[in-house]
Amino acid sequence: MTTTPAPLTEVSVTPPSYRHDPLARLRPVNWNRVTDEKDLEVWNRLTANFWLPEKVPLSNDVSAWQQRLSPEERTLTMRVFTGLTMLDTVQATVGEIVQIQDARTEHEEAVYTNIAFMQAVHARSYSSVFSTLATTPEIDAAYRWAVDNDVLQQRCKTVLAHYYGDDPLKRKVASTLLSSLLLYAGFYLPLHFSTHALLTNTADMIRLILRDKAVHGYYSGYKYQRGLEKLTKAGQDEMREFTDALLDELYELELQYSGELYEPLGLMDDVAVFVRYNANKALMNLGHPTRFGATETEVNPEILAALSPGADENHDFFSGSGSSYVMGKAEDTADDDWDF
Amino acid sequence: MDTTVIGDGTAGGMSAVAAPAATAQAGPRESVGARKDYHALNAMLNMYDCDGRIQFGKDREAVRQYFLQHVNPNTVVFPTLKEKIDHLIENDYYEEAPIRHYAWPFVEDLYRRAYAYKHRFRTFLGAFKYYTSYTLKTFDGSRYLERYEDRVVATALYLGAGDEALAARLVDDMMTGRFQPATPTFLNAGKAQRGELVSCFLLRVEDNMESIGRGINSALQLSKRGGGVALLLTNLRERGAPIKKIENQASGVVPVMKLLEDSFSYANQLGARQGAGAVYLHAHHPDIMRFLDTKRENADEKIRIKTLSLGVVVPDITFELAKRNEDMHLFSPYDVEREYGKPLADLSVSEHYDDMVANPRIRKTALSAREFFKTVAELQFESGYPYLLFEDTVNRANPVPGWINMSNLCSEILQVNTPSTYDAALGYETVGRDVSCNLGSLNIAAAMASPDLGATVETAVRALTSVSDQSDIGAVPSVARGNDLSHAIGLGQMNLHGYLASQRIHYGSEEGVDFTDMYFYTVAYHALRASNRIATERGTAFDGFAGSAYADGSYFDKYTDRTWEPATARVRDLFAEAGIHLPTRDDWRELKRSVQAHGIYNQYLQAVPPTGSISYINDATASIHPVAAKVEIRKEGKLGRVYYPAPHLDDDNAEYFQDAYEIGAEKIIDTYAAATQHVDQGLSCTLFFRDTATTRDLNRAQIHAWRKGIKTLYYIRLRQEALEGTEIENCLSCTL
Repeated sequence: MTTTPAPLTEVSVTPPSYRHDPLARLRPVNWNRVTDEKDLEVWNRLTANFWLPEKVPLSNDVSAWQQRLSPEERTLTMRVFTGLTMLDTVQATVGEIVQIQDARTEHEEAVYTNIAFMQAVHARSYSSVFSTLATTPEIDAAYRWAVDNDVLQQRCKTVLAHYYGDDPLKRKVASTLLSSLLLYAGFYLPLHFSTHALLTNTADMIRLILRDKAVHGYYSGYKYQRGLEKLTKAGQDEMREFTDALLDELYELELQYSGELYEPLGLMDDVAVFVRYNANKALMNLGHPTRFGATETEVNPEILAALSPGADENHDFFSGSGSSYVMGKAEDTADDDWDF
Repeated sequence: MDTTVIGDGTAGGMSAVAAPAATAQAGPRESVGARKDYHALNAMLNMYDCDGRIQFGKDREAVRQYFLQHVNPNTVVFPTLKEKIDHLIENDYYEEAPIRHYAWPFVEDLYRRAYAYKHRFRTFLGAFKYYTSYTLKTFDGSRYLERYEDRVVATALYLGAGDEALAARLVDDMMTGRFQPATPTFLNAGKAQRGELVSCFLLRVEDNMESIGRGINSALQLSKRGGGVALLLTNLRERGAPIKKIENQASGVVPVMKLLEDSFSYANQLGARQGAGAVYLHAHHPDIMRFLDTKRENADEKIRIKTLSLGVVVPDITFELAKRNEDMHLFSPYDVEREYGKPLADLSVSEHYDDMVANPRIRKTALSAREFFKTVAELQFESGYPYLLFEDTVNRANPVPGWINMSNLCSEILQVNTPSTYDAALGYETVGRDVSCNLGSLNIAAAMASPDLGATVETAVRALTSVSDQSDIGAVPSVARGNDLSHAIGLGQMNLHGYLASQRIHYGSEEGVDFTDMYFYTVAYHALRASNRIATERGTAFDGFAGSAYADGSYFDKYTDRTWEPATARVRDLFAEAGIHLPTRDDWRELKRSVQAHGIYNQYLQAVPPTGSISYINDATASIHPVAAKVEIRKEGKLGRVYYPAPHLDDDNAEYFQDAYEIGAEKIIDTYAAATQHVDQGLSCTLFFRDTATTRDLNRAQIHAWRKGIKTLYYIRLRQEALEGTEIENCLSCTL
């Protein structure tokens, strides 16, 4: 008499579990048995959206950079982008990587490796802007500024503390808040510029980044909610309190950080609204009630309208490459397609 | 005076030019902190109001605020028209001659006539685009010197060239929006500091260093003057071909593409956008796969082509080989030229295919024809390129002697050419014929409301002819010669979707296709008659008329052999209600007699461009394709991100404004096919797909297009829907 063998998932583990149980049998990732369809959906979207900064003809922005931006605006842009580079570096090297070990499915592990790599691409892409538009001394100065800026450092370290903590769900909360609340304040500037026909190719690149970030934030929030469901009521309440507290802390830091940058150019009122709007977005991704009321989150329409992650912008091919093209799905034609 | 001119970002690809200072913004540029209310109001178009309706009112308010806050305070006002014109001439803003062709009282009347139309921009984008890119500004770019009416009159005076009646008719046709000259013409006419009025140029390149060098020089010269330039690379010997009989020396077409790409970037480096260029290569050229791979996402920087547009010339034989799932052979142009005594681009590959395969003296390689089509589709996913030109379809429909082997930047110009030869110092030994074309489009809705459609078409043909007559591109003698001999023009059409929707007809429906057929049928008749009248008046036809299908009468067979009339009652009513007479077989017979007796003046008459910018100003849907969205998000180098509501769209007729992605490739192709049969050149035909499509879907659409007699396919545009859960709330673009 034969007995049905136990399912593989019960008698084996994925490689990250080695550190808990070196003796357990390991199994390779199997995309033929997907347990959470969301993993496959997100994987497909992320791979279709693959891009590299070399795609974007950034050099078309050189004349706007040199002739139309004031020195203050150029400095602001350099700093905002260096700040973004810092956050994406945190995500690429720590934030996304640490979430691999917390994965609920083996496919989630694979998705996070993709997300981590794309975060590195994002961090890399700001450097493409720098090297196209600015000089080495200017670039070095911006990096020096980032290292010397206490608030910028504090923003990152607050999040990193939770990445290296022991609670998987707190990692997800920290990551979601970083990706939304902290990051988007930096995107405000290029989106604002592009509405005014400045640095439009850089804005194309930012929209490619936004296209990715929208998916990353959504996915982490989704996985967080799956984890939260497993907790007791008390555990869920504790996570809500934790989220609220971390949000407060990061919100204060963000206002301080963005204030220093945007205040001199008179943009801070709009940016603060945008930060609150994105704080609410993060909470929505996490499945929590929003924090700020409608009147506090009325984003300047020109920025809000530019945010949509759908690739529906009808660009003029002769001044840019757009942000709507994706890796195609190849499929052979069959004989009846050629029936003429 | 610095005469360098700067390319302008016109979407239609009808690359345009502005005077040196014109790229600067009017008024001191506000700090980035300045919140411009009109931009915010315009952006509200992309968000629903509380009741879920599109906020059209916000855009109208944006127009008002734009004039109040920006245009009016920055416009120079003169006490009288006379003082204004004198000032503009004395200060080198206006050319003197076009105005002095006319008696002053007539000029004054013409301005009065234009202003009496009380023109208002209906959309923010229309106004913004006009003032950003077209209107005359002070040299420092800080103040506006023209209003819309002034630009129209300046254009009418220039194109009228002293003919008062024509100038007056042009003012009427332009102010009513019936006729809209292409960007280079509307932008430059009458200005003293300006680029050429011609939209685009097509250049041959032959298989020698002199021709390549001359090609690059011509690309620079023409970009500087603001035109879009396309070059034919089919004749260049492939990578690895011999040079001076030594094998494996040639480096093929890709390095030439790299040189051209950099040349176009350089020529317009002062502008807000780079120059625009395209290259065409035959599908059976041995470098075809390398040519396509330059657009790969992960191509090496040395071979990657970012901004140059690509077009592939596909003969019937390639489709037949793919049907039989066979290999397609690629032929060395170097060997072909030696075997046949003429270059690859001047031969029909379909006709000679079996000979070339059998000829052992022609080096060849092979690849699967279906793989070729799949690769084309893959690249279109990644980049939107290449365009396709169906070589045998194009040449079967060509009424003029010669062989058509390429198109232009927007794939609507299809004309014959001949090669030039050069001496070692790049001087011309023989001046061949290259192609230039100036364009202008009718707004179909406005034209249907014209008191006399035939007269409107004739005015347009005369205006375009005037551009040809007044153009002399001395920097590129082969282009100047081509223009002198052919007087070719390209009358286009726009606002088809807007018109159909305003009549509550669905784009691509039986009635929609029927209307397209009958409209283009009628325009073809009037365009030909106008050109015949010009030839009669001047006693001269285009060079080569004697050998054309017009002269032997065969062109007219399709119109005299059978009766063309509407297939649907609805379309018959539309023309009847508009009081438009549909040409009868007798009309055509009469026209045929007159054409055979007197000729026609223009070698080519029609070409339907994509009409980006001018359709925004003219308040039309672009070209004859469907709207990209009910509220289009438009992004251009000089405008930034702006929102444009579809013309004729209101709260009640939204169902007729399905967008191009919803309508799908098949209906678009059917509509274009109906128009194509009445157009002597081509039509820029963009196809739209969602990202759920595969390369097979693209290939099937291409097969369908080829079978339906479409001549060229322009871009592939893709739209990816936001992943569920990541949309922005209230944002129109996510929910439409």
